Amino acid sequence: MLEVQDLHVGYGAVQALQGVTLGAAAGGITAVLGANGAGKSSLLRAISGIAPVTQGRILLDGRDITALPAPARARLGLAHAMEGRRLFRQLTVEDNLRLAWSFGARGVPLAEAIAEVHQRFPILGQRARTPAGLLSGGQQQMLILSCATIRSPRYLLLDEPSLGLAPIIVQQIYAFITDYARRSGTTVLIAEQMATLALKVSDRGYVLRRGRVVLEGRSEELLAGGSEDKLAANYL
Amino acid sequence: MDDFFFSLVLAGISVGSVYALIAIGLNLTFWTTRTLNFGQGSLMMLCAMLVVFLASQGLAMALAVIGGLLVVAALGVFVERFTIRPALVASGGSMGWVVSTLGFGIVLQGVAAKYFGSQAMAFPDVLFTTQDYVTVLGQHLSLQYLVVLALSVSLILLLELFVRKTVWGQAVFAISLDPELALVQGMPVRLIILGSFVASSLLAGVAGILSAQIGGTVDPAFGFDLVLFGFVAAVLGGMGCSVGALVGGLAVGLISKLVGGYISTAAEHAIAFALLMAMLALRPQGLLGRPEVSKA
Repeated sequence: MLEVQDLHVGYGAVQALQGVTLGAAAGGITAVLGANGAGKSSLLRAISGIAPVTQGRILLDGRDITALPAPARARLGLAHAMEGRRLFRQLTVEDNLRLAWSFGARGVPLAEAIAEVHQRFPILGQRARTPAGLLSGGQQQMLILSCATIRSPRYLLLDEPSLGLAPIIVQQIYAFITDYARRSGTTVLIAEQMATLALKVSDRGYVLRRGRVVLEGRSEELLAGGSEDKLAANYL
Repeated sequence: MDDFFFSLVLAGISVGSVYALIAIGLNLTFWTTRTLNFGQGSLMMLCAMLVVFLASQGLAMALAVIGGLLVVAALGVFVERFTIRPALVASGGSMGWVVSTLGFGIVLQGVAAKYFGSQAMAFPDVLFTTQDYVTVLGQHLSLQYLVVLALSVSLILLLELFVRKTVWGQAVFAISLDPELALVQGMPVRLIILGSFVASSLLAGVAGILSAQIGGTVDPAFGFDLVLFGFVAAVLGGMGCSVGALVGGLAVGLISKLVGGYISTAAEHAIAFALLMAMLALRPQGLLGRPEVSKA
């Protein structure tokens, strides 16, 4: 269980989050929705320890991690696929995977873990020695997800995994995420602008607007007709 | 090939390998924090001076060397903690480290002048003496030059092996590319940065001892020239590139010795910096520096 209580995040005068409370149930997928600048990325960044929390608490399985530095949180089993195609671009695909694995939980031996990635995304096997910066957008997103999951995380934070990708690739990426969550039992928190997409795969959804939760509920209820207007209204 | 030319070449390569060592020391902290320790020269001086001092107190040479290196390693921790970290955590990315590392170097130089005097001190023979030589193909090769060359090149190779082949070395490189991503992936970034400053200071210490060994003396101002040449070597080869540092160091060493031998020792600096300016104008990324790899 990942819990966030009354979280305030601020960069100087700018308040990105103003008292967000939410929970991601263990082993489930939770969606955080909202327009650009609603605070989705700030929420994820605060959870993984790279955004300044000014008030509130973050709990992993009941343990308060608010004061822990980012690497210590990562070692507790938190993995974060950041937005903006964040990879070590000059390093090869293989080196990116190896680094992610080395500083992760190392659930399975490296060779096995890499073979698993190659089986799931054969193109990453073919391009193992290519610098990550030279991959296509879709391939980079596959590598980012693989780097996050190769760590055998207990919690997985995904920031806009669909951003800037062709619909067919988005489908592939989301199929991977749902399949991975079901197989591994990892607690997943997805920040996503494409609401319907994220609500279809998640159990519960939260809608952020200007740093506050304005709507929450079971994903199917949020998806159902009654809330459609509400959803739309909150995006405008 | 006449003997004079040959001896200049050997001296140039040997001195150049020390410049390369200095350049790599500068690269190390540049990788992890995008900063340079401009106090590096004073650390070289201090290490060499401490070796002279400890040896004069009757300490065995090996122990004197270890003592000197331990002190500069500790100063490396100090530099990271008090001159670099405050500047880096300052919002907006302060350039304060330029002034504070330079200041650290000047203070160290002043302290050394106060306690050891500003006169040049003779550096004891740690590795052979200036008279020892071997003869290869009719050429006399100074053993000191050869040992200095071998030591610095093997240190550089070891470091390169560490960076390329171990996961910790790759983490150093990863931090240089995207420190935030490194943090999120659980790399102990703080520790690695601290380690880079300690390693960089140790390299400075070794470079100081080797230069003093070749030059025969050490005085409080001794590191300043060296770090300048090391800096030229680093930029010439491509800042952050180890092979570039080696090539740059050897080039600077060779050119400065040849200029010193055939034209005038007073021209060494002028030529080295003319070279630096020409390089920056023609090829800003350095001889072996790579442009960024990326695709939108």
